[in-house]
Amino acid sequence: MLVLTRKEEESIMIGDDVEVKVLDLKDNQVKIGIVAPRSVAVHRREVYLAIQAENTEAASIERVEDISKLLSQ
Amino acid sequence: MRLETSRFGPIEVDDGAVITLTQPILGFQEFRRFLLLPGPSDSAVKWFQSVDSGDLAFILMDPRVVVPDYKVTLRRGELAELAVSREDELEVYTLVVVPHDQDQVRTNLRAPVLINAKHRLAKQTILEGSDYPIQFFLAQAQRGASESQEVSNARTDA
Repeated sequence: MLVLTRKEEESIMIGDDVEVKVLDLKDNQVKIGIVAPRSVAVHRREVYLAIQAENTEAASIERVEDISKLLSQ
Repeated sequence: MRLETSRFGPIEVDDGAVITLTQPILGFQEFRRFLLLPGPSDSAVKWFQSVDSGDLAFILMDPRVVVPDYKVTLRRGELAELAVSREDELEVYTLVVVPHDQDQVRTNLRAPVLINAKHRLAKQTILEGSDYPIQFFLAQAQRGASESQEVSNARTDA
């Protein structure tokens, strides 16, 4: 892993078009700003992983008959 | 084009019906082309069948069946990505997980699948700054609905 030290208001370029900027440092939290092209999806890692895991479960379904009655109100 | 699927057997794919993902279903990077197929006639679900792999399919539901005021607000750029100017031009679906235990049947309200039916574009987005759960249990929602129904009935009786 590449490790760089940055101060508030300083940033890092990743390639030509992704900028990661440290906006604010306070109370054991870092506020980060990200400028990236539309094709680059940016997500909090734990949310990304949780959704990926849920998607994987969603892909393993063979039949839907069972949910019909749950959805018929 | 003919596609051999594990769930529906061989199906004929109409090229004009193929939906292309601008962003993948997270975790399924290499699968970008899908078909929207009808689910069982008595249900509010549809199948999202991969054209790139006959074995891959998801179940989609209309989240407004369980959360009538379900709201999607997209980030700047996402509307353009899907070639629309407003959210209400998109069809909104959520992925359904169906484990054996019926109480565990759930849908992901945090990461809906948005479809521009006219231009055949779609993506799964993560609703930033929303409190919608990744696991929304349908049985619980239904129980909640019938309980409030009972309460209102009781009030009517009284």
